[in-house]
Amino acid sequence: MTALPLDPKDGGGRFPGFDAQGQSPHWDPVTQGVVLARLGRPTDLRFFTVAEEATARALFDQLLGQRHEPRVPVVNMVDARLAEDQTDGWHYEDMEPDPAAWRNTLAELDAEARERLKRPFAELSWEEQTLLLTDIQAAETWRGRQTSRVWSLWTRYACTAFYSHPLAWDEIGFAGPAYPRGYKNLGLNAREPFEVADARPTQDPAAHTAKSQTGRQR
Amino acid sequence: MAPVKDRNASAWLLPPVPGTNHAMRTDMAQFRDEDEVDIVIVGCGAGGSTLLQRLARAGWKAVALDAGPFWDPERDWVSDEAGSHHLYWTEPRVISGDDPVPLGSNNSGRGVGGSMVHYAGYTPRFHPSDFHTYSTDGVGADWPLEYGDLKSYYEDIEGELPVAGEHWPWGDPHSYPHSPHPVSGNGELFLRGALACGITAKVGPVAITNGRFGNRPHCIYRGFCLQGCKVNAKASPLITHIPDALHHGAEVRADSMVTRIEIDDRTGKATGVHYVRHGRSRFQRARIVAVAGYSIETPRLLLNSASQRFPEGLCNDFDQVGRYLMVQGAPQTAGRFESEVRMWKAPPPEVSSEDFYETDPSKPYKRGFSIQTVSPLPITWAEHVAAQGHWGAKLREYMSDYVHWACLGALCEFLPQPDNRVTLASEKDRNSMPVAHFHYSQCDNDRQLMQAAQGAMEKILKGAGAEEVITIRRFAHLVGGARMAADEQHGVVDADCRSFAVPNLYITDGSVLPTQGSANPALTIMAVAARAANRLIAGGPSKAT
Ligand SMILES: Cc1cc2nc3c(=O)[nH]c(=O)nc-3n(C[C@H](O)[C@H](O)[C@H](O)COP(=O)(O)OP(=O)(O)OC[C@H]3O[C@@H](n4cnc5c(N)ncnc54)[C@H](O)[C@@H]3O)c2cc1C
Ligand code: SF4
Repeated sequence: MTALPLDPKDGGGRFPGFDAQGQSPHWDPVTQGVVLARLGRPTDLRFFTVAEEATARALFDQLLGQRHEPRVPVVNMVDARLAEDQTDGWHYEDMEPDPAAWRNTLAELDAEARERLKRPFAELSWEEQTLLLTDIQAAETWRGRQTSRVWSLWTRYACTAFYSHPLAWDEIGFAGPAYPRGYKNLGLNAREPFEVADARPTQDPAAHTAKSQTGRQR
Repeated sequence: MAPVKDRNASAWLLPPVPGTNHAMRTDMAQFRDEDEVDIVIVGCGAGGSTLLQRLARAGWKAVALDAGPFWDPERDWVSDEAGSHHLYWTEPRVISGDDPVPLGSNNSGRGVGGSMVHYAGYTPRFHPSDFHTYSTDGVGADWPLEYGDLKSYYEDIEGELPVAGEHWPWGDPHSYPHSPHPVSGNGELFLRGALACGITAKVGPVAITNGRFGNRPHCIYRGFCLQGCKVNAKASPLITHIPDALHHGAEVRADSMVTRIEIDDRTGKATGVHYVRHGRSRFQRARIVAVAGYSIETPRLLLNSASQRFPEGLCNDFDQVGRYLMVQGAPQTAGRFESEVRMWKAPPPEVSSEDFYETDPSKPYKRGFSIQTVSPLPITWAEHVAAQGHWGAKLREYMSDYVHWACLGALCEFLPQPDNRVTLASEKDRNSMPVAHFHYSQCDNDRQLMQAAQGAMEKILKGAGAEEVITIRRFAHLVGGARMAADEQHGVVDADCRSFAVPNLYITDGSVLPTQGSANPALTIMAVAARAANRLIAGGPSKAT
């Protein structure tokens, strides 16, 4: 598979030629089975309804900046987790367990788009979707819920799926599983023979933001 | 002190290559439900496994039930973040309060080995001051025992895990059986930043072999400690206590979820436990029952074991069960460096500082915090970045910068409060038992500590040359919920972990801790359980009944 499309200004191409899945012969067989399965045909959708699927696809594309193929099949990966109830188990007293929370918040997102722009969320332009999500994220509460809890639900599932994929590892310079080989070269600027140096070490995403930022886990 | 091998031969009972001694499991003792065993232990984690190993060695007929599987690391664990979800306790739970605490992956494990299967591996001792914070600082609680009562147990367990680290200058100064590990880029920056700010930082203490230990190999610095160590280098009871227990005739019955402790209303004593295994309800008779199911499941099981004699839940005559549950404030601060740090290489636990552990009279808050390296893998790191509000292209850009970030974590001593507690929810699990509801709110002191810890970490990272810092506020390590106390009006068990209400019922896990210090709890949980075991053994198998 080719690399995921990512504009150099957004961090694309920092690790030229780096190939995490190329290391798979060095992984133990159980780990190979689990990780390489993510590169195979995505599982068919079982959890999301057709309407939810449309909203979820658009939402995940936005949250992860996936505008073109090839994409990490995030919607299939999240669908599989929810279908198998592979959640963390806990839920807030004032929120549903994750599977129901997903159904309901996707419906709310779609309703919000219809109310504001008279079209389903999935039919909005990329810029309209971005604006809508930016508004939602900025508000303390959204449609009777604490926004941070909804936002955290969405981003947690999205990031867990995306950053479990070897193609996503390629763009961040992470070589994935490390058993039974382990690492031999520890320390600042020390690399294994199979690791690739960052080609643009001064591309600091935090350079133009406040020098100290704080968020919280939800 | 006798050599480790003579006290606990677990490391010598493992195969000489990574993996499991399967014959030990197939040949393990099997007690029948009708047999009245000397003790049945609920939960095979830090506390439960330690107790099991000690009692089996003393010749007790002992069986430990665990709700989760009997892990086979070679088959069941992977060197991958998302693929390790099955290590966590993911049964339904409800959370609430002003500062609700997310559970699941961040907090508790399942299966033989318990949460230590996926803990990081830091094993500091508590400080002597931890045992009387109420008398000294006017906050928290006094334990019904002192540091000196645990000291020899700390030393024993440190030998059995074994722990690697530099000479430890804080609390009661001591040294460790294994020498400190080499450090990665992350540890290097912590040491450099601390030096620049005049803060003392030391390598360790981690329960990771540095050199061969019995048949356990050296760590290979692969960084997947939180996903279960396939190498057998990082200690968990699965490899440090269970093999020796089986060798001495104990039974470990996995896939057995205990739903209720049975009490004979006439004698007021426990008679055994009800459990569900492979879909069938069963009952194991026992002369003594010990509960070690973690700070959420232990109180839940007691509350679910109400009877005529204990209408409000077992051992709950004074409304103490489930209360004073604690979490540590665990903010993580990351710093950006132009050098490549590649913090995921090497175990996340490397370097710590306990310079801020004790009450500083010049500060408006009581008690303190510790600082340690943490080295999040990509998914956890993405959570850290997303918590700053980044998404879409900005998130991808931050993530592409992963190699340049170093990350520290603090553990703040949040105070025990009566209203931070587990109760039963109306929701039920698949065994039709009400699930736990965990309500949690911070107090002012907690918030001040969290702020101070963030400030100290930012200072260290900037001292090391960080260009920017970003922080995520989070929690770690639940303890308390069935605490030990001087009497039954202030706690659930006594200093020997024996419940005040039922003479043959013990609690031997993190639930019994009255305060938490700013140390990671596993070593102390094991030391407390080892001490309880000694008391039981001194009494003999029949004394309690
Ligand atoms: C990500 C992470 C990192 C951590 N890092 C560290 C660290 O670096 N250092 C440290 O000291 N601590 C760390 N901890 C915490 C540490 O692992 C726990 O505090 C400790 O293991 C708790 O011990 P315990 O005996 O109370 O319970 P556990 O070890 O969790 O054992 C409880 C066992 O009981 C079983 N059980 C529960 N209910 C039932 C039931 N009803 N019937 C049958 N079985 C049941 C469970 O399956 C489980 O196996 C970490 C935890 C996490 C989640
Ligand atoms: S870094 Fe060492 S201790 Fe941690 S999982 Fe890998 S081999 Fe085990």
